[in-house]
Amino acid sequence: MISSVNPALKMVAILIPGVLLSFSFDIFTPLIYLIFVVAFTFMFSKISIKKWLLLFSPFVFLAIGFAWMTVLYTSDSFAGGRVLFEFWWFEVTTGGVMVGISLALRSLCFVALSLMFILTTDSTKFMLSLMQQFKLPPKLTYGILAGYRFLPTFKHEFEVLRQAHRIRGIGRAKGLKGRIHQFRRYAIPLMANAIRKAERVAIAMESKGFTGETDRTHYHQMSIGRKDWAFFTSIVGAFCLVIIASYQLGYLNIFGVQF
Amino acid sequence: MMRQWKLKEIVLMSIFGVVFAVIYLMFYFFGQGLRNFLTPFGLAPFGYEVIFGIWFIVSIIAAYVIRKRGAAFWSELIAGTVQVLIGSPAGPQLIISAAIQGLGAEVVFLATRYRNFSLYVLMMAGMSAAVFSYAWGWFQSGLAALTPGLIIATLTVRVISGALLAGLLGKYISDQLAQTGVLRGYALGKEWEEKRDKSA
Repeated sequence: MISSVNPALKMVAILIPGVLLSFSFDIFTPLIYLIFVVAFTFMFSKISIKKWLLLFSPFVFLAIGFAWMTVLYTSDSFAGGRVLFEFWWFEVTTGGVMVGISLALRSLCFVALSLMFILTTDSTKFMLSLMQQFKLPPKLTYGILAGYRFLPTFKHEFEVLRQAHRIRGIGRAKGLKGRIHQFRRYAIPLMANAIRKAERVAIAMESKGFTGETDRTHYHQMSIGRKDWAFFTSIVGAFCLVIIASYQLGYLNIFGVQF
Repeated sequence: MMRQWKLKEIVLMSIFGVVFAVIYLMFYFFGQGLRNFLTPFGLAPFGYEVIFGIWFIVSIIAAYVIRKRGAAFWSELIAGTVQVLIGSPAGPQLIISAAIQGLGAEVVFLATRYRNFSLYVLMMAGMSAAVFSYAWGWFQSGLAALTPGLIIATLTVRVISGALLAGLLGKYISDQLAQTGVLRGYALGKEWEEKRDKSA
């Protein structure tokens, strides 16, 4: 199951194809890998298809928008092939369309990889494994976790501020200038409160004996085992296989150079 | 490298990271709307570029308030990571882009050896972050496939946005915060107190 894979290693496994995918400008490579990622997600996790589609579908439109922009503004090194049609000052070529579709598929790959990560990862465990496996300083780790824990309280504080303003007869702001002023009226006190909290938390941590030393013991022990490496190998290995396949079939295109 | 940092400075930086992660995420959707609005005019590529500077602001604020080595880099990295944790659609990729943006700002502060935090330096840091992030975007989102004219135009807009929305606005927000007195225990707050003592 993906949700039980060590989160820090999971992140690395996802980042590797995420970065390497940026080299490819053909359609075949991202398309096959996208299919693999989606299949892998549903085979090894309990994410409901409905929820996944709900999160994924907005990005399809986004990807189409980005593809369209690329098609219109293709650079000379990519805009090869036949001219399909022209309008205004734009010239749409087959090369441009290919690159557009490729970039759209690439961004959908990123989204699919991200969803696989986000929907199966517990944020506290993620931070803990960053500390235990990747040697993130404990001071930083617990600082972030403390800050993260305050997120829900901000919402509450915002409500309090709003009510306080209203009781003094300050309504909704009108116009752009009023909006900016209103933003200031909320943002500064909210942040000032956050800073006070930071100071208090730091004092509390120190007074309870937190020194930030790295040779500490952990309540939640995170580890990397055989199952974690199996996940890593399948995600990265599948990417290598896709690259090899696309090279063998003659589709591979790296930064406009066909192989 | 975090040896000379006090715990409260680290926690403050983390909280900045968390707060701005939320703001960044809000601007992500705002940018989406802006882009949709500009699409009929054929200006869609500029939708994000105009507000891109906001994504560097935490580097500027953290560095300006704390004034220690690494503040710009780490705060941006935290903001990126927390965005992933609260579920940004951009995913773990964001951690890399955050690190690169943070590095862009950090380089400028390093060049002044963490001694000069004037408005000019802060704006330079915002611009440097813009250039770094553009270089990464060029690679990652395949901007290489776009025409040079569009690339130069979008880069220019992003750099200006970095100077104004990160540099100028970052300084303004930090100064406003210092005025409330909550930063008394940090470098910027101390500077403000000295100024007040002198004028009094």
